[in-house]
Amino acid sequence: MIDTTQAFFAQLAERGYEPLLHSVTGTFRWDIEDAGSWFVAVNNGSLTVSRDTVGADCALACSREDFDRMVVGKQNPTTLFMQGKMKITGNLGLAQMFQRLFPDESLFGTAQGKKERQ
Amino acid sequence: MSDRTISVLEGNNFVVSDLRGDIDASPTEPLGLFAWDTRFLSRWLLTVDGQRPNVLSTDDLDYFYVQFFLVPGTGTIYVDADLSIIRKRAVGNGFHEDLTILNHKDQPVELKVRIEAAADFVDLFEVKDKLTKKGECYQRIESDRLVLGYRRETFVRETLITASAKTDIDEHGLSFAVHIEPHGEWTTCLEVVAGLGGLGEYHEEATYGHGDRRARPNVKMSLDKLGEAVPRLSCDWPSLQVTYRRSLIDLAALRFYPMVLPGQALPAAGLPWFMTLFGRDSIITSYQALPFGSRLAVTTLLVLAQRQGTRIDDFRDEEPGKILHEQRFGEMTAFEERPHSPYYGAADVTPLFLILLDEVERWTGNAELVRQLEMEARAALTWIDKYGDRNGDGYVEYDRRNKETGLENQCWKDSWNSIQFADGTISRLPRATCEIQGYVYDAKRRCARLARQLWNDPALAEQLEKEAAELKRRFNQDYWLEDREFFALAIDGDGRKVDSLTSNIGHLLWSGIVEDDKAEAVVRHLMGEKLFSGWGVRTMAEGEGGYNPIGYHVGTVWPHDNSFIAMGLRRYGYREEAAQIAMGMLEAATYFKGRLPEAFAGYPRELTGFPVEYPTACSPQAWASGAPLLLLRAILGLEPVGDHLLVDPALPAMLGQIELLDIPGRWGRVDAFGRGRVDTSAMEDSRQSGKGKDETQ
Repeated sequence: MIDTTQAFFAQLAERGYEPLLHSVTGTFRWDIEDAGSWFVAVNNGSLTVSRDTVGADCALACSREDFDRMVVGKQNPTTLFMQGKMKITGNLGLAQMFQRLFPDESLFGTAQGKKERQ
Repeated sequence: MSDRTISVLEGNNFVVSDLRGDIDASPTEPLGLFAWDTRFLSRWLLTVDGQRPNVLSTDDLDYFYVQFFLVPGTGTIYVDADLSIIRKRAVGNGFHEDLTILNHKDQPVELKVRIEAAADFVDLFEVKDKLTKKGECYQRIESDRLVLGYRRETFVRETLITASAKTDIDEHGLSFAVHIEPHGEWTTCLEVVAGLGGLGEYHEEATYGHGDRRARPNVKMSLDKLGEAVPRLSCDWPSLQVTYRRSLIDLAALRFYPMVLPGQALPAAGLPWFMTLFGRDSIITSYQALPFGSRLAVTTLLVLAQRQGTRIDDFRDEEPGKILHEQRFGEMTAFEERPHSPYYGAADVTPLFLILLDEVERWTGNAELVRQLEMEARAALTWIDKYGDRNGDGYVEYDRRNKETGLENQCWKDSWNSIQFADGTISRLPRATCEIQGYVYDAKRRCARLARQLWNDPALAEQLEKEAAELKRRFNQDYWLEDREFFALAIDGDGRKVDSLTSNIGHLLWSGIVEDDKAEAVVRHLMGEKLFSGWGVRTMAEGEGGYNPIGYHVGTVWPHDNSFIAMGLRRYGYREEAAQIAMGMLEAATYFKGRLPEAFAGYPRELTGFPVEYPTACSPQAWASGAPLLLLRAILGLEPVGDHLLVDPALPAMLGQIELLDIPGRWGRVDAFGRGRVDTSAMEDSRQSGKGKDETQ
């Protein structure tokens, strides 16, 4: 079985640069229940990923199930946060920008729309 | 809001109470303590010896602070003046209330003072739409505080209530056994904190402390008006100063502090329903306020850029490059029962975003901002052509992706019946309203300038200019109604011209899309008796099938609408007409103590003699508060030209002399002076006598 969480961060590391984050500089730490922590540094769109557990400008924590649902576009990060299922400490503006690293619409947008209208 | 309630607010945190300071809300009334679109208190009742006090007076000179002067209720109409009760309330992260009772007798008194407290935690959408809750409310007494809470799965909201004086706490409130010496006093602080479990900061205290009106340290709130020194206005007509001051105070009050940009503020839309981020309202208000300060505009652009659409999401009407319509924080949004996280259902906001970006640079010379937002601006331009123009006909039209909870009309006139034919039938979706085409034209022309001067992309500049010129040419053909000599309100889904005469044609002047030889006819309609009520231009002309003087977007007069029309009139050289609209609006403001409401009724001025407030209008409303500012710009003829500010006044005679000192911008600060020479009362007289003539014909 493919580990969605690991695969996401591996792909992020390969990506190297994300133009949608061209004006973003900061560090993120994801603490994912039952999966561990990942550290993502963004420097004007350039991405580096590691397993360091050092402090970050913005720390995000949620369950593995919820994280994987975000990764495949079945869960909106903003509403997950609003429901209290994702904890964010530190810079909320940065946290919001991380959404842009989740997969693009064309893969799932319509399916997500359908799901949410049910 | 009615006269029987009083509102105090800070950001998206507000309290609506009765004149005693009490809250006793039914589920569908907008009374209570609200924060983040949730009601944190639905009941807050003060009794002294079991009686609710009578009100002597209420003072709300500051938008976040109110004082209630009360005397004990006797159950009769007679006032017992032996005791005074004073409540002082400051709003922010909940509120802080100082409750003081003075004993005027020369004997001691024993009193039972009680505060009843309850919270229903309804989402503002539930108040509006009369829905019922899905989670559970609870009450908990901790050592020194009462906790009122609500839980739905992991969604938690709590109201924390503490008192500084000795109190007995039960699940429904706080009781005080009070002894006051002769001519003595008793006081307690009551602190009510609106807590967002797990959502960012969980505030443990309200913004304001005991006894003073200064914000506690490390709080972003301050008493300055718009965060910077605003120009000073003096005028022979004193009402203008009242309106000017009211506008600045209300805009300061309506500042919304987004969680994502700490310490920065942008305009929220209006009290009580719209204390949140709206793309359209924030952009328009920022534009109106630019001659008086640019901070709101810069924050608005940055926050909207951060949340620019990046994907296709049917539920949220999101598309890549699209600028958001509305963001909400309540329970229904959290659980995706409403799409406002954020919702992108607006077709005009993306070009307006580009217009504001250019306008900020024109006023401030902030080239860095324009370079920083280059990618977002390009994405917005791409949205216009790729997603805004859904059918490839060269016009931006809208239809919602979210058919259940999405908005049917995605222009500023967003009520269901706003886009209708002259015979009163509703047009079909998708709709391409005329003013959006004007905004697109203006946005492309402005971005051409930015591309040439700041993005180092002359090819893009040339392309945008070419597209804009072509759009203007086609628009003047396709939207023009030969027989009626004005522009159609929209082209609808069947390709038909929606032929009602509406205020939208005034926005076309503002954007510059109207060919010169058609401007005169457009102005004639705007100033004619069917559109111009005497106070301002109606949203829809008298005589159209859908016209209703108290219909939200089909006959009422909207101050912000008129401020843009006045700018449009100036753009095409109709100085006296701009002055007439400005004077009508400024005179109307005097009937609202300087605070123009969102909308007022479209009755002819000579019929009512005073402007009749629209029954459910929001007040204060940001773009109505911004309207006098843009009207001032229009009549003073303030226009940035390079590094200079052009001043070219055409003032109503009634205003006499005006001085606007220290107007900030890329020129530093400059002053504008003018003397009123346009005789708007003569214009009004001839308008009325002209009407008489028409009627006898």
